[in-house]
Amino acid sequence: MAEVSLRNVTKAWGSFTAVRDQSLEIRDGEFMVLLGPSGCGKTTTMRMIAGLEEPTAGDILIGGQRVNDLPPRDRDIAMVFQSYGLYPHMTVEDNIGYPLKLRGIKGAERAAQVRAAAAKVELEALLHRRPKELSGGQRQRVALARAIVRRPTVFLMDEPLSNLDAKLRVSTRAEIKHLQHELGVTTVYVTHDQIEAMTLAHRVAVMQGGEIRQLDTPEVIYDRPADLFVAGFIGSPPMNLVQGQHADGRFTAAGGFHAVTGVARHSGPAVLGVRPEDVTVAPAGQGDLDASIYAVELTGDAVLVTVQAGDSRIIAKADRAWRAEIGSSVALRLDASRLHLFDAASTKRLQPE
Amino acid sequence: MQDRRLKYVLILPAALLVLGTTIWPLAVSLVTSFRDWRLTRSLTPGPFIGSEHYVTALTDDPDFLNALQVTASFVAIDVTLTVVCALGLALLLRRAGVLHSLTRAVLILPFAVSPALVGISFRFMFNAEMGVFTWLAGTLVPWLKGYVWLGDPVASLLVLVFSDAWRWVPYMTLVVLGGLSALPREPEEAARIDGASEWQVLRDVTLPALLPVLAVVAILKTVFALKMFDQVVTLTGGGPGQSTTTLAYLVYSIAFRWYDMGYASAVAWILTAMLVFLAVWYMKLILRKPGGA
Ligand SMILES: Nc1ncnc2c1ncn2[C@@H]1O[C@H](COP(=O)(O)OP(=O)(O)OP(=O)(O)O)[C@@H](O)[C@H]1O
Ligand SMILES: [Mg+2]
Repeated sequence: MAEVSLRNVTKAWGSFTAVRDQSLEIRDGEFMVLLGPSGCGKTTTMRMIAGLEEPTAGDILIGGQRVNDLPPRDRDIAMVFQSYGLYPHMTVEDNIGYPLKLRGIKGAERAAQVRAAAAKVELEALLHRRPKELSGGQRQRVALARAIVRRPTVFLMDEPLSNLDAKLRVSTRAEIKHLQHELGVTTVYVTHDQIEAMTLAHRVAVMQGGEIRQLDTPEVIYDRPADLFVAGFIGSPPMNLVQGQHADGRFTAAGGFHAVTGVARHSGPAVLGVRPEDVTVAPAGQGDLDASIYAVELTGDAVLVTVQAGDSRIIAKADRAWRAEIGSSVALRLDASRLHLFDAASTKRLQPE
Repeated sequence: MQDRRLKYVLILPAALLVLGTTIWPLAVSLVTSFRDWRLTRSLTPGPFIGSEHYVTALTDDPDFLNALQVTASFVAIDVTLTVVCALGLALLLRRAGVLHSLTRAVLILPFAVSPALVGISFRFMFNAEMGVFTWLAGTLVPWLKGYVWLGDPVASLLVLVFSDAWRWVPYMTLVVLGGLSALPREPEEAARIDGASEWQVLRDVTLPALLPVLAVVAILKTVFALKMFDQVVTLTGGGPGQSTTTLAYLVYSIAFRWYDMGYASAVAWILTAMLVFLAVWYMKLILRKPGGA
């Protein structure tokens, strides 16, 4: 068990900087999720913690000890690679058992531990196959089993569920969460799936372009995104963002869109954000804004209603039984306590007093 | 279509060339191997005598047996040494770096030197009085001072191996480097994280993945070692005694020193049979679907 710290860590290849002056304190036993779009430096950050990549600048500490000069094998880490990194000539059983073999665990005991790990990811039936005889999702589960077969100081998981089907993903996600809770092993988990980030994390670090944009609990990230990038990245469908002007606590946009924000001290160009689930579509005349239906999409568990309000298009999430004709007039109600206001120039969040 | 015929017309010169310089001589030598033909007696081939030459070679010729033994020892030591050295060097040169890539570029040079020339320069280097190697060995190990390397049956075979390895190791290093660079790096990284030492990574992950390439290197080197001839002529002359008389050199001796063309052809065909067998095996190995391991 140990805390992991990154202190002003930078990784550059030539003139390209993949991770920029990043500082991150991961607490002992914490489940930290790195979330961000493709190419933002998640894998690079993780590889530096593992010791596979040397930071260009800055320090990495595990359990208070500086590990910059420590080879991977001495860091007591288990890692799930994004591209699996299985041993091609070994069977599934030998792949999973390799970390145990290196630690001198033999025979029946090793076999028992391998089988237990394989069972957690539903691999028992495939123990004697080789990686090339497995599907992508099965390979990924072997990689996961190889990581959880022992009790390391730190788990590093690089998109460990990306290739699993929806059902297996849900069950394996629960398995990981349970396991991490039970063992209390500090875990760094990379994903670009927000549901995974929300469900698993104690804290989420949202990254973009090699920098952490916001580091907080999933609730805060969702309810109070620190800037426009985080606001637009988290949530599915994404938060509605309307460009306009803000003055005296009132936001207006072209075509008659308006809302009361409760932010007194700001005036000038601003962006108003509201999540689809905080928008209610009401019968015409019974809301704050007049609008017309632009599109209606049934997603299964909800209906996504796109409405035209002034010059802006807003997506609202409605009950799955909700229906309306395209073009018909409606009214919108925005949940005033859940409006987000961002300064257009700095993209930073403006907090209501 | 016109160009259906055109393509045959275009390959005709090449086909004729191969026929005239390779197939025809091979056919003639095969026929000759079944005839009695000594140049000391007659300028024209003598009568057919069936498989007599083959039977003699395989059952009743100490020279052939000796050459077979010499060739076998030479191949065994040469192939082992080449594979081990090429693998070691490739592992050392694997990392990126200015010095590494410079060395990789220089590696091709020994292979550009003609084998006959390699033999001659090695003869000078191992000369008992003025050879630089003799001097070096004598300086490092005093009782080897002035040792006549090429006068000792075992040592001269080792010198022959050494000269051939010097020529081949760098080239084979490049081949192994190519194989190494095609390996995915994640399995090795995973092993390091799982707690493997560099030696364990090599043994458990890198070598098993590299095995197909090493097999190709070994078989290819075996084929070339079996044909060992140039350096025998220019370095040891097959001696002392017959201690470095390889099969190819024996064929040459029989044909152009004792002028027994029929017998020489038969021995040459025995060597050819071994080579064809290995070549077929080699082709099978490399034509197997790639990424097998
Ligand atoms: N060895 C390397 N040399 C040069 N650039 C690299 C190297 N490895 C990664 N990069 C670059 O660094 C950036 C970050 O890469 P990284 O693999 O960390 O992204 P990621 O956040 O994991 O993305 P994804 O979600 O697609 O896996 C990318 O732009 C990538 O092209
Ligand atoms: Mg990645």
